[in-house]
Amino acid sequence: MIADTVQTALPADQGLPQRFRRTRLARNGSLAGWAFAAPALVVYLAFLVYPALTSLSISFTSWNGISPTKTWVGLQNYVGLIHDSVVHTAARNNLIWALVTIIVPMSLGLALAMAVNTRVYLRSAIRTVLYMPAVLPLVGVGTIWGWLYQPAGVINDLLADIGLGSVTHAWLGDSTTAIWAVTVPAIWVRTGFPMLLYLAALQGIPAEYYEAARTDGASAWQRFRHITFPSLRATHYIVLALSLIETAKVFDLVYAMTDGGPGNSTQVMGTWMYFNVFQSYNFGYGTAIAVVITLVAVIVGIPYVRSQARQLV
Amino acid sequence: MTAIPVPRTDYVTRAAARRRRNALAATAVLIVIAVFWASPVLILVGTAVKTAADFNAHGATSWPKSLTFANFRAAWDVGQFGTSFVNSGLVTLVKVPIGVFLAALMSYSLAKLKINLRRSILFLMLLGLTVPIFIAVVPIFTMLRQVGLIDNIWGLLPPYLAFGLPFEVLILTAFFKRIPQEVIESARIDGASELKIFVRIVLPLSLPVLITVAILDAVATWNELVMALVLLSSPGHRTVPLSLLNFQGQFTTNFPALCAGILIALLPILVAYGFLQRWIVSGLTAGAVKG
Repeated sequence: MIADTVQTALPADQGLPQRFRRTRLARNGSLAGWAFAAPALVVYLAFLVYPALTSLSISFTSWNGISPTKTWVGLQNYVGLIHDSVVHTAARNNLIWALVTIIVPMSLGLALAMAVNTRVYLRSAIRTVLYMPAVLPLVGVGTIWGWLYQPAGVINDLLADIGLGSVTHAWLGDSTTAIWAVTVPAIWVRTGFPMLLYLAALQGIPAEYYEAARTDGASAWQRFRHITFPSLRATHYIVLALSLIETAKVFDLVYAMTDGGPGNSTQVMGTWMYFNVFQSYNFGYGTAIAVVITLVAVIVGIPYVRSQARQLV
Repeated sequence: MTAIPVPRTDYVTRAAARRRRNALAATAVLIVIAVFWASPVLILVGTAVKTAADFNAHGATSWPKSLTFANFRAAWDVGQFGTSFVNSGLVTLVKVPIGVFLAALMSYSLAKLKINLRRSILFLMLLGLTVPIFIAVVPIFTMLRQVGLIDNIWGLLPPYLAFGLPFEVLILTAFFKRIPQEVIESARIDGASELKIFVRIVLPLSLPVLITVAILDAVATWNELVMALVLLSSPGHRTVPLSLLNFQGQFTTNFPALCAGILIALLPILVAYGFLQRWIVSGLTAGAVKG
C-alpha cells in the first residue's frame, strides 16, 4: 500500500526505460496477479488455443497424418464440404439434435421442476433419481439404449404388450428413424439439468406473488403465464445458452449407438470428422469439418460468454 | 411445518387434511414418474441377475425367477473392467486436483488481485466452454506422438487439464468474487505474502466450492470419450468408456451378461453419485444461477 503511494507520486517518465517498465509493473501491482494466472493460462494456451489454431491451418492442407509434409490446398477442403452429401446429412442431424435436445429437455425439465416444487414428500430423493442419467458416461447410456432398441428388445416388447405391435420397428436399423431414436436417450440425459436450475429458481419466487394473484382470482394458467414464466427469465437464458453450447459437441451417443449408420444416416459433424481423420486418414478434410462446427459453436456461444465475463469481473 | 400455534378449529384440521391428501397424491404421481425415469437402469439390473434360460423364456421386463451372479463373473472376465477402473481412476485422481488448483490460482487472481487485461483473460478462458474437444484431437494426437505419449493414459492429462479449466474458472471466479475484500486486506497488512494469503485463508474459506468443482470435474473426466478414443489403443490402457465400447461388441446375444457388464462399468459412478449428489446438485445450481 505504502510502496504503491510512493511510486505513484513519482513522475512516470523518470529514469531509464528498463526501470520505468519495472516501476510501472510494480505500480500496477499486477506482478502477483500475472504469476497466479500464468500456470493455468499456459496450459490453456498450449493445449486448447494452440491446437485449435493448428487445426485451422491443417484444414487448408491435404495430409494423411503420417507423411512429414502437408500439401497446401487452400480452400479445397471447404469447397469439398459443400459438395459432400454426408456433410449435408450431418448438418441436418446436428440441427435436429439441437432442436430436439434443447426444446424437449427444457420443457420437460420445467414441468418436472414445477411438479417437484409442489407440496410433496421425498422431494430430494425424487430429484436425485431424475438427475441420475446426467452423471452416467454417455457410452454407457448409449449401450443401455442400444440394447433396449434391439428389434426383439424391451421397447418393441412393451409396444406389443400395450397393443401397438404394428409400430414395432428396428429403430436404430432404419435410416428414417435412427437419428430420432438416438435423441431419446439424449433427452433422458439432458432433462435433469434444466430441472435442477428451474427448481432452484422456482424456490426463489416469493409465495406472496401467488397469494396475491389467487386473491385477485387468477387461474392456474394465468399464474403460470404472468408470474412463474417471467420469473424464470434468467434461468431460461442460462439453460438455453448452456444447451446450445453443449449441442455442438454431440459425439458419444451417436458413436456408441449407431456408429453413424445405417448408411451414414446418423452421422453428425463430430462423428463424420472422426471417420474422415481416423478411418480414411483425410486429416485435412476431417479437420475442416471440425473447424466449421467449432466456429458455429463459438459464435453462438459468444453472447453468453461475454455476458458472463462482464458480470464476473 | 410452521411453529406458530394455530387454534385448532374444525376448519383448519380439514384444510390440513386436504393439503396432506394432495401432497400424498402428488408424491404418488412423482414416484411413478421417477420409477419410469429410472426404468432403463432398473430393467438393466433385473436382467443382469437373471439366468439366460429365464431371460430367453420370459424376456427383460419380467420379475427374475431366481437370482444369479454368474453373469457378473462372465462379464468381469471378458470386460477387463478392473484395468479400466484403475486407468480412469488414476487419470481422474491426478487430473482433478491439479486442474482445480491451477483454476483456483487463476480465478483468485481474476477475482481479487491486480492484473491487467482481467476481463480479456476471463473472456478468453470462458470462450473455451464453447469449444468442442474434436477441434483439438488432431494437433494433440500429433503433439503427443512426437513425445511418445500416444497410447499412454498420461497423454490424456494435458488436454483434459486445458478443457477442464474454463468451467472451473467460471465457478471459482464467481465464488472468490464474494469473499470480502477486508479479509484479504487485513492479512496483507499483517505482512502475509499473496501466496500465503491464498493458501492459508482463501483456499480453506472456499473448501465447499472447491470440493463441488472437483466432483463435477471428476465426473466429466471419468466419462470422457473422444480424446481417449483417439489417443489410447491397447486393451491395457482403456478408460471406462473405452472398455464399455469394446465390451458391447463382445456379448451380442448373451444379454444378461451384457447387462451385467454395463452395470459393473456404471457402478462406480452410480455409487459415487449416491453419496455425493448433494454436492453435485448444489454446485450446478449455484454455478449456473449465480453466474
